[in-house]
Amino acid sequence: MLVFTLALLYPLVGLGTPVGSWQWDGSIPGSTASAVRTSLLLTVLAILIDILLGTPVAWYLSHPRGRDAVVWEAAVLISVLMPPLALGILLSLAFGPQNLLGGWLLRIGVPTSNSPTVFVATQVYVSIGYYILAARAALAAVPRDLERVASLLGSPPFEVFRRITFPLAKLGLAAALSLAWVRALGEFGAVIVTAYYPAGMPVQIWVNLQDAGMPAVMPLLVVFLLTAMPLPWLIHLIAQRRSSNA
Amino acid sequence: MLDAHIVKARRTFTVDVRIQLQPGERLGLFGASGAGKSTILSCLAGIETPDAGEIVFRDHRLFPVGLPLYQRPLAYLTQSDWLFPHLSVADNVCFGIKNHNSDGTEEWIEELAKRLDLTSLWNESARQISGGQARRVALARMLARRPQLVLLDEPFTAIDRSATNDLISALLDWHAALGFTLIAVDHRTEILEQLCTRAAVVESGRVVQEGSWSALAAAPATPQLARLLAGK
Repeated sequence: MLVFTLALLYPLVGLGTPVGSWQWDGSIPGSTASAVRTSLLLTVLAILIDILLGTPVAWYLSHPRGRDAVVWEAAVLISVLMPPLALGILLSLAFGPQNLLGGWLLRIGVPTSNSPTVFVATQVYVSIGYYILAARAALAAVPRDLERVASLLGSPPFEVFRRITFPLAKLGLAAALSLAWVRALGEFGAVIVTAYYPAGMPVQIWVNLQDAGMPAVMPLLVVFLLTAMPLPWLIHLIAQRRSSNA
Repeated sequence: MLDAHIVKARRTFTVDVRIQLQPGERLGLFGASGAGKSTILSCLAGIETPDAGEIVFRDHRLFPVGLPLYQRPLAYLTQSDWLFPHLSVADNVCFGIKNHNSDGTEEWIEELAKRLDLTSLWNESARQISGGQARRVALARMLARRPQLVLLDEPFTAIDRSATNDLISALLDWHAALGFTLIAVDHRTEILEQLCTRAAVVESGRVVQEGSWSALAAAPATPQLARLLAGK
């Protein structure tokens, strides 16, 4: 186990590798602070959309209704299995001006490339499938009998979710949220095609690498790791503590 | 009044029974394991949907196209307790109470807690209590809403004999006070005899005999029933 853990964490050794003096803001076009701000604000928005749209879908899928659930689940799975770069290209084509929806969006003033809206939409596309699948598993783990008993005690469906399903599934839902967060924040392949601007952290790291090499990459890389990792950890710890206190 | 005709296919037979009960009547469903007794309760409660038939209780149509579970004026104690593990005993018992200030609710909950010996466990987590205690909490939770129809499936499993007698006596007192209609399933005739005035014997999904316990004992309709009664 120790050897495995050390092997798993070995890439972090890269942070201590001498690459020359780290270059901070000012020396690099497109500042580090702006990339961090873009990534954090827009990812929070994308995750909120994931929760709002994905939770009802996950709940629906977690309550077996025969064959149709298999079809819906397969549709969700396709979004997860699609390679990000391919998804990015498909998104730009599908929302492009030559398509009905893309043309209409442009007519009403909604840009379909290189805008915060497109950035968020792309993040939602790449992360919501992961959120739904993990949330579905968490919700499905709550015994249906508990929900039925709660219903028989007079609770309508949303109240059953609020008082029984959600509290019992929150640890798994937190894991789903963490997964979606990391997936959305770290997305590069799809975002670079659909929303090169405004540059989030992954795109900015790539730009820095191209323009100024590793010294310009390292500061943003550290910030990237520090922003990507603590939130899932924190959510996980809070949910675990609440669940053990309950 | 409860008027139910339930048709529900099982793996090896089809449950097809008609149950008619006057308000406040107490019926014991008796029979061997796997005879379809729990299926009948489950269909009455709405957990399972019958394949055909009709269920009407008082003014409420329960099947077909019946009330959703949360609007049914009934309480169902299943074989498993299904306590909400993240809640305390108190929160489990009071789960279905919408208005604690309504007429006599506080006193009723107090009475349930006292009579079912839950006072000392009141603030314990439902995860922490024993099997017998959990059964009593499930019983209290079911009765807290003062239901009109009570369905009991093996209500006293995990409870010792003397405590069972106390609980039966409490249930009969509450029946007298609330006037609920009661249907109980148990494999022990001595429990059903104390709890219910009438019996319906179920074999392979059909009611093969109905009547008082003494009539059943005097002339069992089938050899299987005779064997079950002799083995009590």
